[in-house]
Amino acid sequence: MSEEEKFDAIIIGAGPAGAACAYVLAKEGKNVILIERGATAGEKNVTGGRLYTYAMELVEPGLYKQAPMQRKVVREQIMMMSANSAITIDYGNYDFGTEIPQSFNVLRAPFDEWFAAQAEEQGAMLACGILVEDLIERDGKIIGVRAGDDEIYANVVIAADGVNSLIAQKAGLRDDISVHAVAVGAKEIIELPRNVIEDRFNLTGDEGAARMLVGGTDGVLGGGFMYTNSNSISLGVVLSPEDLARQGKKIHDILQDLKMHPAIYSLIKDGTTVEYGAHLVPEIGFSGIPKKLYRDGLVVVGDAAGMCMNTGTILRGIDLAIVSGVAAARAIIANEGASDVGAAYMQQLEQLQLLPTMRLYGKYHELLGNARMISTYPNMANEIMKMMFSVDGTLPKRIDKAMLGIVKKHVTFGQIVADGWKGFKATT
Amino acid sequence: MPRILVCYKWVLDEQDIKINPGDLSLDSSKAKYKISDYDKNAIEEAMLLVESKEGSVDALTFGSDKVKQSLKDVLSRGPGKVDWIGDTAFEQADAFVTANVLAAAIRKNGSYDLILCGEGSSDSYSQQVAPRLAAILSIPAITFVQKISIDGSRIIATRKLGDCTEVVEVAGPAVLSVLPEINKPRIPSLKQVMAAAKKPSQEVKLADLQLGAEELQPKTITLSVKGYVMNRKNILYKEANQADNVAKLVASLAQEGMC
Repeated sequence: MSEEEKFDAIIIGAGPAGAACAYVLAKEGKNVILIERGATAGEKNVTGGRLYTYAMELVEPGLYKQAPMQRKVVREQIMMMSANSAITIDYGNYDFGTEIPQSFNVLRAPFDEWFAAQAEEQGAMLACGILVEDLIERDGKIIGVRAGDDEIYANVVIAADGVNSLIAQKAGLRDDISVHAVAVGAKEIIELPRNVIEDRFNLTGDEGAARMLVGGTDGVLGGGFMYTNSNSISLGVVLSPEDLARQGKKIHDILQDLKMHPAIYSLIKDGTTVEYGAHLVPEIGFSGIPKKLYRDGLVVVGDAAGMCMNTGTILRGIDLAIVSGVAAARAIIANEGASDVGAAYMQQLEQLQLLPTMRLYGKYHELLGNARMISTYPNMANEIMKMMFSVDGTLPKRIDKAMLGIVKKHVTFGQIVADGWKGFKATT
Repeated sequence: MPRILVCYKWVLDEQDIKINPGDLSLDSSKAKYKISDYDKNAIEEAMLLVESKEGSVDALTFGSDKVKQSLKDVLSRGPGKVDWIGDTAFEQADAFVTANVLAAAIRKNGSYDLILCGEGSSDSYSQQVAPRLAAILSIPAITFVQKISIDGSRIIATRKLGDCTEVVEVAGPAVLSVLPEINKPRIPSLKQVMAAAKKPSQEVKLADLQLGAEELQPKTITLSVKGYVMNRKNILYKEANQADNVAKLVASLAQEGMC
């Protein structure tokens, strides 16, 4: 077996985790190859999301300023939806966008292509259009990868191949994807003129908004999101495939109904859907991370490692992917020439606060997986608003009694206590 | 040991180009580039010829300032080196200008036993560059080629002409343009992509080719490029008796001169 082509690291997947890892390693002078199955990096990606810049700063300070970002998020919104009404909490903070904490709306296709090109510029070799089919193992150690008839070797292989990571499965680090561990996302990119987006979302210039939608999913567990791009809106839902199947509902029907909701329709009307995509999202937070993220000669990063979380107010994944890529790179740099960098990688994940953060939100998944959170409470809140703002000339009920009546209609006292307790437990 | 040159064009991927429904103008803002489809056949054919006989394959392209993006792709398909001319003059260039530029670069950089081109480009498909190139270089041109073999300095090619084929033989060097059925272009493997990164590429400046202003002045000026929409007549025949519907259909077709 020839080992003439031996790299310091082979990185599988040129998403944010892979590109971040390749960038940091190449900048350190390591011999790195970044392998991507799409014809270009980002080609296979349908995510419209947001990127927190603190993660990019770990890769290279200031680099994000050259990135093809869409808008910087200054308005954080939460929309609680009922059948024909909605309550929107709109928090505008115009300090967001000047320095960390800071986030941008991104479209991943152009972003990933740019990021991979940056890694290439640092000296990483980028090989697109190549599907890595298998790992090469010798004496219990991962020593390289196989693509078609070709075999190449490295000290460390980094699996950055996304939510349905075949490489992590081949390495025996995780099982085939299980239905409760993922959500299915469907998203449309709806094109509108820049100024129309700015007017509708109350934005100026490059400012952007990020909105979480609670309810509006026809009673199916999950939620929705809306992000403003430069001249388009990303609108989508992320739902539990298990619950969809149980209720016999289809995700595209739910997304279509959501678009027609009067509180959403007014934001997207006259827009043109230019892209439609669907993808799996690692959904269950900390408990979705495989028990082991490494073997001798292999580490798993990003979505492949289940690094994604939903806090109820924000969705995070791209930043965690970048942080984990940086963690893997730092572990390799600190252990010159070694193949067994797993322990150092885990240490980096702790130091960079990735695992502690995911642990903190560890039980949120159970909380958000409660059907009452996604339909009963939003409906109840909307009905209370309706009661408070309805004037029809008849004698109104006393507010406290009316509220109690509405609450009782939706939930039992016991359920409120139970949900409150769960919420308290999840956050402490 | 033939020395082969393949010429290729770096074109917008037509799948990514959208037609604006209003004025039928083309929106290529989201379009990526690719090696023109039939040029991939030309590259593949060059590789098949040298792989069975030894020899060398070089590549040559003339494109916009974006053409540099193509180097890795073309080299991963097999050629040992690539010369590229990236210049804004490409934006207005027609087959006349392109052939002048390619011919000048060939004269400057070396001699070849065989020059291969795709039959036409995926964008303008004028099918002129190969024969023009041959004319400028004063060597034979063979078009519509679906099979090539090399025997010493003799090149034997099968041409596809309507409902028959013609086998021709020339003494090289010659320019051949190939049809897509000649082969199935390979998907570059990991090792080929890796090898591409180490292969040489050389920029040739348009100014260094000493072409006169007249040679860079396109003969064809593009006035507009628009999408084409077929307007359907949407005629429905709703007679109860099918025979009446058929009769009406035939009458309509006859009226349109279709039968």
